Amino acid sequence: MDCDAFRDEIMDLLYGEAAPADARRLEEHQAACRACRDELSSFRRLRRDLASWRTPPDLGRARPRLSSARPYLAMAAALVLLGMTVGGLAVRGSELRYEQGRFAFRLGQARETSALSAALAAQEERHRREMEALRATVAGSSRSGDDMLRKVQQMIAESEARQATLVATGLTRLEEKTEARRQYDLAQVGAGLSYLDGKAGLQAARTTELMGHVLQASQKK
Amino acid sequence: MTSASKLTRPMAPSDEELVERFQKGESSAFDTLVHRWERKVQGAIYRLVGPGEDVRDLSQETLLKAYRGLGTFKKEARFSSWLYQIALNVCRDRMRRGRGKSYVSFDELSETGETGREAGPSALDLIEARDLSRQVAAAVATLPEEQREVVVLKEYQGLTFLEIAEALDVPLSTVKTRLYRGLGQLRQQLVRQGVRGGSPVPAPTS
Repeated sequence: MDCDAFRDEIMDLLYGEAAPADARRLEEHQAACRACRDELSSFRRLRRDLASWRTPPDLGRARPRLSSARPYLAMAAALVLLGMTVGGLAVRGSELRYEQGRFAFRLGQARETSALSAALAAQEERHRREMEALRATVAGSSRSGDDMLRKVQQMIAESEARQATLVATGLTRLEEKTEARRQYDLAQVGAGLSYLDGKAGLQAARTTELMGHVLQASQKK
Repeated sequence: MTSASKLTRPMAPSDEELVERFQKGESSAFDTLVHRWERKVQGAIYRLVGPGEDVRDLSQETLLKAYRGLGTFKKEARFSSWLYQIALNVCRDRMRRGRGKSYVSFDELSETGETGREAGPSALDLIEARDLSRQVAAAVATLPEEQREVVVLKEYQGLTFLEIAEALDVPLSTVKTRLYRGLGQLRQQLVRQGVRGGSPVPAPTS
C-alpha cells in the first residue's frame, strides 16, 4: 500500500483534526504498516520537544511609538524638505537638527566671525609693528627732546585711538551683519517648518488617532 | 475564538460580530479584538522572526494595519486568518529587509549544544529543558519560510488547517504537505543538533 497517500491523514490525526472515517482508515492501515506507525509516534515525540519552546514572559504589550507608525509618504516628503532646509543652512555654516522631539538650530556665524577676527588681528599686528618701528626710530634718534617725545607720544595715542575705533566699528558691523543673518535664517527655518507642519499635520493627526486606539486597547488589558 | 470558549463564555461576542460592530462605527469593538489577539500575534511574530527582532514593533505594525483595513474587511473571511495573514506579511517584509542575517545565534547554540548528556543529576535535567527550548528555536529557524509559517501557525498558534489555508491563501493539501515536510525537517535538524527526543525510531541494525 502507498504510505504517501496517508500523509494528510497522519497530519490530521497528529493534530486531532481527522474525521472519524479517515481516522478509522488510517488505523486499519497502521495495523499492517509499521513504517506509518513509527512515523506517527515519532511525530508525537517531536511535538513534545517542540512544546518546550515557550515565548518569554517579558514579550510584553505593544508600546505604540509614533516613529513606528511610519506615515511613509508624508515622512519622505518631510525629509526631502528638511534636507533642503538643512542643506541651505549648512551652506552658510548653520545647522538644523531634530533632537528630543524638537527642532534645534545653530546659526552659521562661526566661520564669518573667525575670518573677520583674523583680519582685525592682522591689522592690529601691522599697527603694532609700525609703532615699534617708530619707537625704535625715536629711540635711535640723536635729536631726542621733550617736544619730540611729546609729539611722538601724541602720535602713538592717536594711532591707538584710531585702532580702537576701527576694532569697535568692525565689531558693530559684525553684530549688524550677524543679526541680519539671524533674522534671515529664522525666517527660512520658520517657513520650512510651517510647510512641514502643513504637509505632515494631517498624516500625523491620523497616525496619532490610530496609535491612541492601539494604546488604549493595550492598556485596558 | 474557538467554539469551546464560546460555550464557556456565552456573553463574549465572536470576532466577526466585533468586526461588524466596528464597521458600523463602534470603534471600541477594535479594542476588544486587540485584547483578544495581541498576545497571540506577538507569540506568532516572535517565533516567525526570532528573538533578535523587535516583536513589539512588528506586532504594533500588524495591529495598525488591521485597524486601517478593518473597514473593508470582507465578512466571509475569518478574522483570525485575516489577522495572521497581515502578521505573516509584516514578518515576511521584515525578513526580506534583513535577508542574510541569521536571527538565531548558532554560536550561542554551540555553547550549550552537547552539555553532559551522559551524566544524570536532576539539576542537569533543568538545564537540558532550557537547552531544549533553545535547540527547538534554533531548529525552527532553519526551516524554509513556507514550512516555518505552517509549523508556527499549527504547532504554536493552534490554528486549524482550514484557518492556515485561508491565512496563506493556499489549498488545504498544500498546508498539510508543508507541515509534513516541516516536521520531517525539524526532526532531522534536532537529531543533527544532538536532541534525542525528536529522533525517529532507529532502524533495526544488521
